[in-house]
Amino acid sequence: MDLIANLATGFGVALTPANLAFCFLGVLIGTLVGVLPGIAPITTIAILLPFTFTLPPASAMIMLSGIFYGAQYGGSTTAILVNLPGESSSIVTCLDGHQMAKQGRAGPALAIAAIASFFAGTIATIIIAVASVPLSALALKFTAAEYFSLMVLGLTGSIALAHGSAVKAVAMVLLGLLLGLVGIDVNTGLPRMTLGIGELGDGIGFVAIAIGLFGISELMIALSRPQDRTLLSVALSQLWPSRKELKDCLPAMLRGTAIGSVLGVLPGGGAALSSFASYAVEKKTSATPERFGRGAIEGVAGPEAANNAGAQTSFIPLLTLGIPGNAIMALMVGALMIQGIQPGPQVMTAQPQLFWGVIASMWLGNLMLVILNLPLVGLWVSLLRVPYRILFPAIALFCCIGTYSISNSQMDIGLMLLFALVGVFFVKVGAEPAPFILGFILGPLMEENFRRAMNLSRGDPMVFVERPISAALLVLTALLLVVLILPAVRAKREEVFQE
Amino acid sequence: MLTRRSAVAGLSATGLPLFAPALRAQTFTRQINLIVPFAPGGTSDILARLIGPRLSQALGQPVVVDNRPSASGNVGADFVARQAGDGHTLLIADAGTLASVPALFKRLSFNVKTDLVPVGMVSFSPYLVAINPQVPATSFAELAAYDKANPGKLNVATSGVGAVNHLTAMVVGKHFGLNWSAVPYRGGAAAVRGVVSGESNVIFNGAIATLPFVTQGQLKGIAVSGDKRLEALPNLPSFKELNTPVQDAGSWQGVYASKGTPAPVVARLNQELNKVLAEADVAAKIRELGSDVRPGTPASFASWMDKAMVEWGEVVKAENISLDG
Repeated sequence: MDLIANLATGFGVALTPANLAFCFLGVLIGTLVGVLPGIAPITTIAILLPFTFTLPPASAMIMLSGIFYGAQYGGSTTAILVNLPGESSSIVTCLDGHQMAKQGRAGPALAIAAIASFFAGTIATIIIAVASVPLSALALKFTAAEYFSLMVLGLTGSIALAHGSAVKAVAMVLLGLLLGLVGIDVNTGLPRMTLGIGELGDGIGFVAIAIGLFGISELMIALSRPQDRTLLSVALSQLWPSRKELKDCLPAMLRGTAIGSVLGVLPGGGAALSSFASYAVEKKTSATPERFGRGAIEGVAGPEAANNAGAQTSFIPLLTLGIPGNAIMALMVGALMIQGIQPGPQVMTAQPQLFWGVIASMWLGNLMLVILNLPLVGLWVSLLRVPYRILFPAIALFCCIGTYSISNSQMDIGLMLLFALVGVFFVKVGAEPAPFILGFILGPLMEENFRRAMNLSRGDPMVFVERPISAALLVLTALLLVVLILPAVRAKREEVFQE
Repeated sequence: MLTRRSAVAGLSATGLPLFAPALRAQTFTRQINLIVPFAPGGTSDILARLIGPRLSQALGQPVVVDNRPSASGNVGADFVARQAGDGHTLLIADAGTLASVPALFKRLSFNVKTDLVPVGMVSFSPYLVAINPQVPATSFAELAAYDKANPGKLNVATSGVGAVNHLTAMVVGKHFGLNWSAVPYRGGAAAVRGVVSGESNVIFNGAIATLPFVTQGQLKGIAVSGDKRLEALPNLPSFKELNTPVQDAGSWQGVYASKGTPAPVVARLNQELNKVLAEADVAAKIRELGSDVRPGTPASFASWMDKAMVEWGEVVKAENISLDG
């Protein structure tokens, strides 16, 4: 069978000592930057990109992808122990993971996060191997109209799963959407809301906003609570979750893997959206939704499975079509091109060593990550035990370096600091930054695809309901809205989110 | 389209007689910054990282590649325009884009013609014109017939409003009587995806990036820009054979210095650049990227810029495109 032969090729490449070493280096760096809040894998990959020039293509890709999925593991450690998302995709893990840690169950939370990630990583690797061809065909069925409808569903979903008041969540989505529109409008080429500042032409840097909002502002909030140190010294007496907990988590992991695998393939989807979607699904399908936000282990297992599956399947459009679905994948394209390999449908056939080697390395990398993260979790925790007075300036410095390195712009540092203040403001008024970030990412995509669909249909709005996939997505959105608005559900939702 | 502007070309090229014997005296005293006005991974960036280390060897000073990305590359070009004219700050950019920005932006913070000194052309990569295979056509003539029979069905995907591939599509389309709508995407890769999926159905895009889709049957080739056919697709006519406007449209990469850089310094840089481009492995690597090495003198590059600025200026005016309101 072809698949076996292909995987054999892949493992042949991935198991060479040099590539094993690069894979290990990648996941090690990935875990490190995942653990440390404020340093995103995208920053790390950007910094390391020039160094991969001298490596063989397969080794370069193996290492860079290791950083990406390694960060998904590391991110959850920080989310659980410090309530800082080390990674945007582990924002959701904070919700229940940190509650578990507060209740003295940090060990099981960390273990289930790693188990769920490994479980999803294994399945996602198989999915990539088996289904990369048909899946990339599915992604190709999506045109502007479908993307628009998908974004509408995504944004509506982000309101549904926001903490606290739905009105605040709507406001945050809209604010994110507005800020996302800063920059050059794709459809006219004209700059909007740039205040005449040339550097804003490409929009407000996502990394600057994310690091400001989730990195620096978290540091500031933490500093405003001097007794917070206790959060870092969580006892890790018991590591393994009980058999019952494992059993409770299995369906969540399966659902999370499925959600992540599907959303990861779609451009604009990926790890972060997957974890949000999975959390929403777990909460909705749970018999005891009131446990969520108070240390429900499924609330850790589902999203952790989803973000890892999403991170891995987002390689499908990249490896099969050469089309980056998100910013990190765009950097991967850059890495391939530095190697003189033009990403595209020919990579699978012309560079089977590269394609299958990277896929095989993903599974090996996931295995390494479990070892890195479970038995060695104490090591990573001790990294977090470094006193704030040392850790905070170091993180702030890393945040600055990372933000600056994206486009060598001092303005991004300014923006980062500005959004740090904005982030503090958000926390003080009880508004969640997650819907804001989703609005910021998905809003411009939604607008772009809306106007493109209208351009293609020569101004006929019926295109959104005439295309079946688009219509189905819009119907789902409508159902979600109805559910949100129904008084009974609304009351229950608010009760659930109030702490 | 080819307006004769030799007088202007001559002006820009003044002060560049052959200083060959004195060239060695033009020494470089500190680090040279090679500015790439686009994100890492693009053509300019790859060329910069290929050429940089070798220029460094030749000039005896480190050459550091510095990415200052922005739309149209204006931020990076503006940065180079403002540096001291001593040859220690260089720009490597898409020359066609740079030639089109004065017409696209009314309030450009730098003057392409006077603030940037052409050092030398590096490479040329043609556009491949391709369509979604569902469109029943194999030539521009058949496309025009299809367009007439199915008005409002042809959409040409571009990598952005005002991008050279957008301008080329509009002026070439007009030449063949095609009434297609331009659909802007965020960059070339997204535009290709749009055409492969059938969302849009025509594209003018870098040959190397588009070729695999054509050879695998996901796109159908129509023509190739420039004056010769592609080796890989020998059946497709070149723009020259078709006698289209803007025949040499494509990706031209060139190196520029800051305003005021003395002619001998420019001449030394040009000489070393051409030496690097003459190295077999450099040329081979550039060919791998789907480009041809196109070394030349500063004067020939300057006159190319003048011609391109006039040509693209006319297209931008005819299409009534403005990128700053």
